[in-house]
Amino acid sequence: MVKYFIRRVLQTIPVLLIISFIIFSLVFVAGDPVALMLPEDASFEDVENLREALGLDRPFLVQYGSYVVNLLQGDFGESFRFNQSALPIVLDRLPATIELAVAAMLVAIVISIPLGIWSATKRNSSLDLLATGGAVIGKAMPNFWLGIMLILLFSVTLGWFPVSGRGTMLHLVLPAITLGTGIAAEMTRLIRSSMIDILNQDYVRTAKSKGIHDFFVVYKHAFRNSLIPVVTITALQTSTVVGGALITETVFSWPGLGQLLIQAVNTRDMAVVQACVFVIAILVILMNLFADLLYRLLDPRIKYN
Amino acid sequence: MTKLLEVMDLKTHFHTGSGVVPSVDGVSFDIKKGEKIAIVGESGSGKSVTSLSIMGLVGSPGRIEDGKLAFEGKDLTKLSKKEMRKLRGNEIAMIFQEPLTSLNPLFTVGNQISESIKLHQKVTSKVAKQKSIEMLEKVGIPRPDKIFSSYPHSLSGGMRQRVMIAMALSCNPKLLIADEPTTALDVTIQAQILELMKDLNEELETSILLITHDLGVVAEMVDTVMVMYAGQIVEHTDVYTLFREPKHPYTKGLMDSTPKVHMLDEELVSIEGTVPNPLSMPKGCRFHPRCQFAMDKCVSEQPELMELNDNHKVRCWLHEEKEVNLHDLVKS
Ligand SMILES: Nc1ncnc2c1ncn2[C@@H]1O[C@H](COP(=O)(O)OP(=O)(O)OP(=O)(O)O)[C@@H](O)[C@H]1O
Ligand code: SF4
Ligand SMILES: [Mg+2]
Repeated sequence: MVKYFIRRVLQTIPVLLIISFIIFSLVFVAGDPVALMLPEDASFEDVENLREALGLDRPFLVQYGSYVVNLLQGDFGESFRFNQSALPIVLDRLPATIELAVAAMLVAIVISIPLGIWSATKRNSSLDLLATGGAVIGKAMPNFWLGIMLILLFSVTLGWFPVSGRGTMLHLVLPAITLGTGIAAEMTRLIRSSMIDILNQDYVRTAKSKGIHDFFVVYKHAFRNSLIPVVTITALQTSTVVGGALITETVFSWPGLGQLLIQAVNTRDMAVVQACVFVIAILVILMNLFADLLYRLLDPRIKYN
Repeated sequence: MTKLLEVMDLKTHFHTGSGVVPSVDGVSFDIKKGEKIAIVGESGSGKSVTSLSIMGLVGSPGRIEDGKLAFEGKDLTKLSKKEMRKLRGNEIAMIFQEPLTSLNPLFTVGNQISESIKLHQKVTSKVAKQKSIEMLEKVGIPRPDKIFSSYPHSLSGGMRQRVMIAMALSCNPKLLIADEPTTALDVTIQAQILELMKDLNEELETSILLITHDLGVVAEMVDTVMVMYAGQIVEHTDVYTLFREPKHPYTKGLMDSTPKVHMLDEELVSIEGTVPNPLSMPKGCRFHPRCQFAMDKCVSEQPELMELNDNHKVRCWLHEEKEVNLHDLVKS
């Protein structure tokens, strides 16, 4: 198993290389980087001098090569807005994003597991209709809209929670609900359909025939089985969650990666954009690895080869 | 022998979108202590629904509409959920047709056997483990302590059915219901499993209700046979009488369609026609559209299960006035 994971980690190297190539190319897509760094009235000569000084007159692939070498040392270049190395700026924002993501995931789990199981065991009851209807609405609501509505109601009108920023637990509540709702909706739907399938399996009938209480039939024998597809599909959706986080952070001025990334894009602070994208990519890869590990822990039938 | 289970006029119906399906329609029989009894019949005749009714496991949209299920005098249909759970897996246990899918893939064999033992016998995990390994040994599993901690997917179909039997018998049930326990297995394994069940029946004095569509298995295994057709019992007698002199045309049809070793080159006749659509059962005798002996009366009036003698019941108008021999009837 350890071997398997070492191999999985090694397999991410080509992925990271491709990502590095894409973010490196971003600079050229965004326009002439040298022109961006100089004031508008700089002379043609100034531009060419700086280009040479920065090594930007070399062939594309040579530049990419030295870019990768720098990446390996954690050097994404300087942020001209903050006048310091880009990576530390990005890493500084990482805990805030992780905090938000974990809280949102907790919200999603706390809502979706009981609701999904419940609506599967009481199919076509009014609770089931409410849950499936709620899931459709929860999935359809855009994050920014939900975020603004929550701010209007709970912060502006009722004054229960701060409008924006990070600090206390109270600050976390609304952003976590905003980001968590969409995930909860999707997971509820998944858990429900997976549970309906599992509850019809022969081994569930066997469990009942042993005289096991319905509660344990559902939670011990059926639920763990139903989680296997749920974990796989949820992991495939990490990128959607990351997208949601970017928007949520902006709505709530949550000082995380998303907010930093959007500011950096607006000011064309390319080094920070690149470092952000790279760190987010690594986060997604780690999430997928974690899901894979979880999946394997859940299902003893899977072999490591 | 004293009666262990008395089934009286059991009616279990399914309320589907397209109408009421009378899957079990007035079934009565009893099982004595230590007896081995079989229900035979084609697919869809209501064998599984009968056994699930006894277990109290008929799921919606099915429901026991009427009848009594007296187990050692207690009416199972009147028990609370909790009382029923106490019996299930403890006094009445069941094994199913599909050994490959009847065990939970995420728990070890040992976990699943000791779960029953811990639940019903309130013993510690250690004792339950010991008992589970004993049971695995009893059902002929080699290296039981190793299999105890294996997952079901690493075992063959025959092994898994042995595990199911070990699990079912782990609490010394008084009645074991086996719903087509060998259908999914190949012939040699099938014989071994039947042999095992017979041995355990003798050793533990567990009564067995065997459900099958295979008369060969019936001849091997049981004392008494009930033939079921379209939700009703059509013939009920001991296994020797049934094979020597079947009284119901359907039973005879089943026998003629069962291959026998000594008639290798004779042609195998199968019963013409199909099982009736349960949503529109034929009037009169439910078998009449397929019966070669059908008379006018058969089309209009439904026969009751008549007693030919203490030991033989049949649901057929042919025997209304006097018992007739079907073999003679075919010849004439
Ligand atoms: N959940 C259900 N909903 C509707 N009808 C059902 C349901 N379960 C069983 N039935 C009906 O009950 C009848 C008897 O089914 P049952 O499973 O008892 O047959 P069986 O004799 O066990 O057949 P087999 O040999 O195929 O196992 C069938 O006609 C079937 O259509
Ligand atoms: S009652 Fe009539 S139709 Fe039914 S089995 Fe007997 S002879 Fe055939
Ligand atoms: Mg069946």
